[in-house]
Amino acid sequence: MRLLTQPTLRAYVCPSCRHGVISGRRRLATQAGPTPDIYDVVCVGGGPAGLGLLAALRASPVTSKLKVALIESQDLNKARSWTMDSNQFSNRVSSLTPSSKAFLERIGAWEHIEQERVQDYQEMQVWDGESGSRISFDWTMDTPAFEEMRTVATMTENSNLVRGLLKRIAASGDENLKLFSNTTVAGIENGVDLGPQGPDLSAWPILSLKPSGPTSEAQASSQIAARLLIGADGINSPVRSFADIPTNGWDYNRHGVVATLALADPDTPPFPPYLRTAYQRFLPSLGGPIALLPLPNNHATLVWSTTPEHAAYLKSLPSSAFLAMVNAAFRLSMTDLKFMMDVKTPSSEQTSHEDELSWRVQHTPIPAQVPPMANAVQSGSIASFPLRFRHAAQYISPRVALVGDAAHVIHPLAGQGLNLGIGDVASLSQTIEYAVSHGMDIGDLLTLERYSSERYLTNAKIGGACDLLHKMYNVPGQGPVTWARSFGLDVIDKLPFVKSFLMKNAQG
Amino acid sequence: MSLIRISKIPSRAIRAASTATRPAGRGSQTGFTCSTTRNHSTTSSVSADELSHFSALASSWWDPMGPSRILHLMNPLRHEFIASCLAESPPPTTPVAGATGTPSSSPPPPANLHYLDIGCGGGIFAESLARTIPLDPSAPAPTATRAASMTAVDPSTMLIQVAREHARLDPTVDTHLRSGKFKYLNTTLEDLLASPSSSTSPGPAPAPAPAPASSSSTPSTSNTVPSHPQFDMVTLFEVIEHIDPQTTTPQTFLSHCLRALKPGGWLIGSTISRTFPSWLLNQVIAEAPWPIGVVPRGTHEWSKFVNPPELQAWAQEGLMRAADSATTRGGASALEGTRWKCMGTIYVPGLGWKMVSGSESWGNYFWAVKKGV
Repeated sequence: MRLLTQPTLRAYVCPSCRHGVISGRRRLATQAGPTPDIYDVVCVGGGPAGLGLLAALRASPVTSKLKVALIESQDLNKARSWTMDSNQFSNRVSSLTPSSKAFLERIGAWEHIEQERVQDYQEMQVWDGESGSRISFDWTMDTPAFEEMRTVATMTENSNLVRGLLKRIAASGDENLKLFSNTTVAGIENGVDLGPQGPDLSAWPILSLKPSGPTSEAQASSQIAARLLIGADGINSPVRSFADIPTNGWDYNRHGVVATLALADPDTPPFPPYLRTAYQRFLPSLGGPIALLPLPNNHATLVWSTTPEHAAYLKSLPSSAFLAMVNAAFRLSMTDLKFMMDVKTPSSEQTSHEDELSWRVQHTPIPAQVPPMANAVQSGSIASFPLRFRHAAQYISPRVALVGDAAHVIHPLAGQGLNLGIGDVASLSQTIEYAVSHGMDIGDLLTLERYSSERYLTNAKIGGACDLLHKMYNVPGQGPVTWARSFGLDVIDKLPFVKSFLMKNAQG
Repeated sequence: MSLIRISKIPSRAIRAASTATRPAGRGSQTGFTCSTTRNHSTTSSVSADELSHFSALASSWWDPMGPSRILHLMNPLRHEFIASCLAESPPPTTPVAGATGTPSSSPPPPANLHYLDIGCGGGIFAESLARTIPLDPSAPAPTATRAASMTAVDPSTMLIQVAREHARLDPTVDTHLRSGKFKYLNTTLEDLLASPSSSTSPGPAPAPAPAPASSSSTPSTSNTVPSHPQFDMVTLFEVIEHIDPQTTTPQTFLSHCLRALKPGGWLIGSTISRTFPSWLLNQVIAEAPWPIGVVPRGTHEWSKFVNPPELQAWAQEGLMRAADSATTRGGASALEGTRWKCMGTIYVPGLGWKMVSGSESWGNYFWAVKKGV
C-alpha cells in the first residue's frame, strides 16, 4: 500500500530525481479533430460524489459561473423520478455523519431530500460476540443535561440522496451546465496544439462521448475538453486509468449481505421517545460484524459482513430462515451461530432455523442491548456485494482529480465510505473556489495539491482504522487478541474523553 | 517554529537588460544603463549575473515542483493583498456601461481596472490576473481584483517568450492575449513611459496581435493628458530588490513606476527587509543546499533588500517627482490623499505563506502606495 502522496514525498526527493517520481503518463493524441467544446469542470460519474461536487460548485457564488458538465452512463431521468412506497426502503442505504449532513445543508441539497425517508440515530451499541465486551457511543458526555440528544449519524437511502442532489442542481438553472445522461466515455486523450489559430490544448484531457441509451444528449463522436477532469467514476475508474494513477489494495474475501427489515416493537419503548439506536455485533468466527441501522417506521437496514460462503448460504435461505439467522446473530454464541450456518435447508423442514433459534435462545444469556426482533424482510431486498480495500497512489494529476470510490474504497464496518466521498467533495469544491477567486488555473497541480493534502491522510487514517478493526475482529476464540481488544473496548467505554475524541475523529 | 522567508527568483526587472535593437540613447536619457548588444558584462556585472541566473531558471519557471515553486505559492496572497487595498480605497474609475463611478455604491463592482505588471518574469502574477478578466466586459467583476486589462512588461526576451508560450496553454488567457486585453511586452518601464500614450506596445518586440481593443487599456485622464500610458493599478512584485544600484537607484525607479500610475491608483509591490533575521533566513537558510534551501543559490543579495521605512520615503519622494512637470514642481501637495499600506508575510514550511501583521521587518512583506487624486 502506498500511502505517501507525491506532495508529501517531495521534500524528501532530491530535485534532480523528481522527474523520475512524476510517472510517465498519458497517451499522445493521435489526430487533430475539430475544436472540442471547452468546459471548466467535467465530472465523470453521476453518483453521490459526482453530483455532490456539481451541486457544491453550482451553489457557491464564486464557482457558479464555471462551465460544468457531468457524464453518467445510467439514465439520470430514472434517478430523478425515483419513488418508493413509504413502507419500502431501498437496500442501498448510507449513514451520513453530522459533518456530511452539514455540507449537504450548506450547498442547499438537504432540503431536496425527502425527510420522511431519513432517520437520525442518537446512540450506537457495539459489542464483541466472542467476549461480550461492549461500548456505546452517544453524545451525552458532550451535551448538557436537558438538551436534546445529539445525532450520531443520519440514515439516508442513496437513491433519495442522488435524487435530492439532482433537484438541487436543477434548481440552479441550466446556464453553463450540461448533464450527459445515458452517455459513456468512449475514450480520453490529450488534445492538440491548435497552432497560430488557437490555444495549445496538448496537456488538456479531451473526452470522446458515446450515447449509451436512447435519451442520451451526446451526439455520436462528440468531444469535450476539460480544464479539470473529475474522476467520480467508481472503483474501476477510467479517469484514473487515463491519468496513469496506480491503485493499491486487496479484496477482503468477505461479502456484505444487505436487506431491509421490519422490526418488532421494542420491549421497552425508547426514552426519550425520539431515541433511535444502531446496533453492531462483531462475529469473529463468521468473518465480520453484523449491523442493524434504523430506518423510519420501525424499519432497519442490515449490513452483515461475512465470508462469501456464508453470504451465499444466507441469500439461499427462505425469508423466515433468513430472519431467524439475523436474530440469532445478535443473540446466540459463536458456537451456536456456526452450527446454524451449517443447518441444511431441505424444503420439507422450512422451520428448522426458527426452531433452532427459539430453543437456543432459552439457554443463552441475552445482553440488554440487543435490537428488537426482526419480523419481516422486504421482498427482493436481500443482496450482497464484495468488500474491498483500495487506495489510489495519488488523488491528483495535472487537470485530473479523483473523488469518492475512484480514490478509495474501504471496509463498511464504520459506515464511512460515503462520508469520505462527501469529505472529498467538500474539500475539492473549496479548493476550486479558492483557485477561482485567486486567478489560479483550477486544473493546475499547484491548485489541486491543496485538495490532496487535505484529504489523502484523512482518508488513509479512516480506511486504515477500519482495516485494523476488521483484522482485530477476525480473530476467533479466547486468545490474547480477544482479551486485548475487549480490554481496550472496556477501557474506552469508561473514559468519556477518549470516547469523545474517537467520535469526533470518526465524524471527520 | 522555523520560518523561512524568501523573495522571488531574480529575473524580474533586470535594470540593465535591454534588448538588442533598442537605441541606446533612449535608455541613457532616462538615466538607465542600456547597451546596444546583449553583452551585459561590459555595462553591469550585477545585471549580467542576475540575467544568467534567471536564464538558467527560465525552462523550469512554470514547473510547480521546480525552483520557482515558492513563488507560485506566494501568488494567491498577491491577489489578496490587492483586494485588501481596493477594499480600503478603490481608485476613481471612469464609469463603464451601466456602472456607477463610485464602486462602493454598487454591490457588484464592474471589472474596469487596467493593470500594469512591471518585471513580470515568466508571468506568474500577470497570467493569474489575466485569467480573472471577464470575457464579457459588461459582466460584473468575478474577483475582488476587478481587472479589465493587464499589460505585463519584462526586459528579458527569454522570459517574455516563456510567459507567452505558457499563456497559450489556457484558452481563456489565450483569448485575452488575442483580443489585446492581456499583453506581454518585452520592454523596460522607461521605454514604456517613453512611448506615446496611444500605443502601449512599443519597443522592438511588439505584442503578436496588437488588437483594436488595446486602446481601451490606454487610460485617459481629466485635464492634463500625460504623454505616456497610465494605469489604474501598477504592480511590482519581488522586483525592487533586484535593481542594479550601480546604474540606477530604487528612488528613480519608483518615481518611474508612480509616473505610470493614474491619479488615485495603487502601486503595489512586495520585497524583503534588510534585517538580521531576513539575512539569516533568506541568505543562510533559504539558499542553503538541498534539502534545506528552497530558493536557488545566488537568488538574492541581502544588501539590495529594502526596509519598509526606506520604501515609504522613496515612494513619497517619487510621488512628488511624478507630479513634476516641465514648468512646475510637485512638492508636498502631491502627497495629499495618498495612502501607505504594509503587511508582512511569512513562509511556514508545511503551511505555506501566511500574512502576519507586524512581521514586515522579519523578511518578506507586501507594500502599497496610493497616488492622490
